[in-house]
Amino acid sequence: MAYSDKVVDHYNNPRNVGTLDKNAAEVGTGLVGAPECGDVMRLQIKVNPETQVIEEARFKTFGCGSAIASSSLATEWIKGRTVDDALSIKNTDIVKELSLPPVKIHCSVLAEDAIRAAIGDWRKKNGVASETAEAQAK
Amino acid sequence: MLKVLENAVPVACWSCSVAHNESTLFCPHCSKIQPPSVGDYFSAFGLQPRLSIDLAALELEFHRLSRRLHPDRFARATDNEKQWSLADTALLNDAYRTLKDPLRRTEYLLKLVGAETNGSAAVSGDGESTAKKQRKTPADLLEEVFDLNMQIEEMRMAKKSGRDDPQLRESLRMAQEKFEGMVGAVDRDLRAQWAIWDTGDESARKPAERAMVALLDRRRYLSNLVRDVNEILGD
Repeated sequence: MAYSDKVVDHYNNPRNVGTLDKNAAEVGTGLVGAPECGDVMRLQIKVNPETQVIEEARFKTFGCGSAIASSSLATEWIKGRTVDDALSIKNTDIVKELSLPPVKIHCSVLAEDAIRAAIGDWRKKNGVASETAEAQAK
Repeated sequence: MLKVLENAVPVACWSCSVAHNESTLFCPHCSKIQPPSVGDYFSAFGLQPRLSIDLAALELEFHRLSRRLHPDRFARATDNEKQWSLADTALLNDAYRTLKDPLRRTEYLLKLVGAETNGSAAVSGDGESTAKKQRKTPADLLEEVFDLNMQIEEMRMAKKSGRDDPQLRESLRMAQEKFEGMVGAVDRDLRAQWAIWDTGDESARKPAERAMVALLDRRRYLSNLVRDVNEILGD
């Protein structure tokens, strides 16, 4: 199976690889896994407490090219958005952007899960209610 | 679903017209070769779907059927029979490869009974997220898997730059031992679930199937790690 040019690009030049201090109050960490292939993905965000804008995003993914590309793209997309806005990103958007084949759709699901997990962690740390935003995201 | 499998729809033999189980490779009545069926791998070997199987008997039966299906035996048969001997041989090979391997056999059976082992993350038409349908991995397992992956990467980088950190190597070796032990424990747990499932008690089967799906998930993470650690320690 051939990877699309965009997947190859993200794989060769992954954006925003790295680590943020997970103990910092403004940092949210999401660690998720795909049981069907054993891939693991960590996505971290640094949120401005005043504006709720995601100022930094970092990822570290152990998995296939599509999983790396999905998480790389996810960090690019969420940077500069508010947390509520970032939650509107759907795995299907990632599938379209990267032209992922059906067998790799779970990679995009993993990236969406990672965004939600990171935002969930940040909210928990900062006591931000999630009900209203979750409702908006749906 | 299993009931259907265990009472496979009988079909009439193309040659003698006597009804037989659709997955039989040869008609039990007239012994003529039958077209490849859509039946399951177990019945291709005349077995009931079970997780504990006699591997020696399976191998013997595989050799016996392979010889009987060999295309050379059909040199003077009808064109249909010639084709079926090739197609049946392919089916038998797939069935044998799947059933002789304990993990593939377990995955196959779970799929057969409708307990999905590969989270079918399909994109629904309205673009709705499928994230909720994903199975969850226990958080502590993820943490552990992630940490070891980080260690593995560190070791890989160190190797690339020509350094060979003995301390790192030692911790990898310990991790290797630990994770191999965890894989072994998963395999023991799987076998315990096999025994429960094989008793045939319907009320016990569903929980056993769920337990096996979770165990196979866990095993995939662990065996990826073992593979990566072995790769680094090996060369």
